[in-house]
Amino acid sequence: MNLRLTFTIIITKLLIFILRIFKHGGTSLPGKVARKIYPDIIKVISKDFKIIMVTGTNGKTTTTRIIGKVLENNGVTYVTNKSGANLVSGVITTFIDSVDITGKSKASTALLEVDEAAFNVVTDFVQPDILVVTNFFRDQLDRYGELYSTLNNVRSGVEKSPNAKLVLNADDSLCVSLAHNLDRDVIYYGFAHGATDSGESIENSDAVYCLYCKSRYEYSYQVYGHLGAFSCPNCGYSRPLPQVACLKVVDLNSSYSDIEFTLESTDDANERVSHNARINLPGLYNIYNALAAASLGHLLGFPAGSIIKAMESFECGFGRMETIETNGKTIKIILVKNPTGFNQVLTYLLTETQEAQIAFIINDKLADGTDISWLWDVDFEKLEKIQENISMFYTSGIRAEDMAVRLKYAGIYTDKIALIKDHEELLNKALEKTQEGRTLYILPTYTAMLEIRKLLNKKFGLKEFWK
Amino acid sequence: MYELNICHLYPDLLNLYGDRGNIIALKRRCEWRGINVNVSNISIGDNFDAESYDIIFLGGGQNYEQEILHDDVINQKGNEIRNAINNNKVFLAVCGGYQLLGKYYKTWDGKEIQFLDAVDFWTIGDKKRMIGDFVFECDFLKENGFDGKVVGFENHSGRTYLGPNVKPLGKIIKGYGNNGKDGFEGALYKNVYCTYSHGSLLPKNPAFADHLIALSLKQKYKDFVSLSYLNDEFEELANRTMIKRIIG
Repeated sequence: MNLRLTFTIIITKLLIFILRIFKHGGTSLPGKVARKIYPDIIKVISKDFKIIMVTGTNGKTTTTRIIGKVLENNGVTYVTNKSGANLVSGVITTFIDSVDITGKSKASTALLEVDEAAFNVVTDFVQPDILVVTNFFRDQLDRYGELYSTLNNVRSGVEKSPNAKLVLNADDSLCVSLAHNLDRDVIYYGFAHGATDSGESIENSDAVYCLYCKSRYEYSYQVYGHLGAFSCPNCGYSRPLPQVACLKVVDLNSSYSDIEFTLESTDDANERVSHNARINLPGLYNIYNALAAASLGHLLGFPAGSIIKAMESFECGFGRMETIETNGKTIKIILVKNPTGFNQVLTYLLTETQEAQIAFIINDKLADGTDISWLWDVDFEKLEKIQENISMFYTSGIRAEDMAVRLKYAGIYTDKIALIKDHEELLNKALEKTQEGRTLYILPTYTAMLEIRKLLNKKFGLKEFWK
Repeated sequence: MYELNICHLYPDLLNLYGDRGNIIALKRRCEWRGINVNVSNISIGDNFDAESYDIIFLGGGQNYEQEILHDDVINQKGNEIRNAINNNKVFLAVCGGYQLLGKYYKTWDGKEIQFLDAVDFWTIGDKKRMIGDFVFECDFLKENGFDGKVVGFENHSGRTYLGPNVKPLGKIIKGYGNNGKDGFEGALYKNVYCTYSHGSLLPKNPAFADHLIALSLKQKYKDFVSLSYLNDEFEELANRTMIKRIIG
């Protein structure tokens, strides 16, 4: 018996227990303490697990949740860092929480969401057996630095994990580059030609020029942002054929999406076996998340039925389209953190056909990014065409004033913009104005989401996120 | 009816963090006053004729993207840019675009990259980035009772130094500015306005936006006197709230 291990586990578990009593999430501090007492603990404690990691800019949490459901449907016991504790210490806490005092766990698999900036460091301690990468988009510059350094950090982590099988987004030239010239098992997922036609012009600002020879990519079609069928006319670097593909978006509405997809690698429509599935969360971006999870299920040899069932039934919560019903009114919280993610949420809001209200809560704390100029890269201009349908746009949070300015310059009438700094006042006023059967959409940045959830929890009760 | 033609240079490459907010602000503030605005996006390989435009905007970019455009800007558009500056064309250049107008950029490990040499300043890279909200005071904005205080966000590792004939854009009240040492921010030469304040500079500083609009209208129309009043309640609130928070 490893006494140091047992000692560390007991101390850490005690800490987790105490923090939960006092209603702190207790997701990262215990891991920090454990690492202090026993720096190698994560290596020792993780060695019996099959390890699946999910990283990338957008969609990590949702993808992780759908994968969790796929595993569950196939009788796999797993541990996961559900609360978005996705840095090194959060990963350690997750492992320690799941083992007994000798370091053994009942679970066979660890499903870990890993922050894309932390992935490289995490792989110093523990390497994935399977790595799922969602996408790379520009994120908070002051926190992550330039997009290409984030990409290269993840690349370095991939190199440190020589046995990892990769699940990659075929439509993302940055993501695909992770496997370029590497001899690895890779499953690609993506949108087939003609699967979707958003009808709006697509702005690609993150990956216009070839990563290898700096020529401008050509696209036979785009899905959103730089995602699509890219190919470099000069050096030939191009989108690989995805094994797992969305063939058709059948219905995209404000509650869910119906898609037709395939798990077969073929371009020949006659030979392809296609499946229909309903994805329990709306928004084009969640189709990518579902495809990523389907790819993982397929890689592990799970039947298509269990994957479809997972897509239909997963729940996300924690600010990802989290829904609260009160007095016949609906509140939906949708986390926003970077331009592409925000644009996707706005595109989703365009599917709302009934009168609704929207509250933007913008903070600029460290976890939100201290620089809020990215709000000017978000295409709020598209709200102009539904503003007749929106009875009021609220702005709140530390940077409520900047958000109000942004809306004004997007063409929203100033008498439709209400600036309310206090969250409680915001919630009361907005709910009072929301009619029965209608929805109040709350779009917060990360720390604003924590604040508003706390308040909503006090008022209405929410699921506790570390359970 | 007045009309302004704005050129956004390399919008697909120099578009770091909200730089297009400046274009949006110029466009809206003109439109609200009934001034017609055309925005032209000019990038690699495109023909650039500076005389067709009244305001030319250059934003910031990531290193990778600046490498991509380097040859085009130096060898294809360089002469046109230098001539336009000498002919008093109105420029707004932010962050990477600001540095590009200077003589050179010397990386922290001593590699020297030649830039446009359009204005007499140069930039020296450092490992430590200068990041944060900042406030500076511009004398040319001190009119109609306005105190000239501009608020923005800076994030740069380059330290810029100005030659003798170039004035700073403003005096730092709080933050780093050009090099974190001499207490000044940006550069002002003829009608070229350069700053490290990226993203939402003009929307949050409407006096600055109007200064550029009025300047270019004055150049273009002899009968132009002044801009009409706009209700800037939100803009001023955003400006004052941040200044108060930063200065204390």
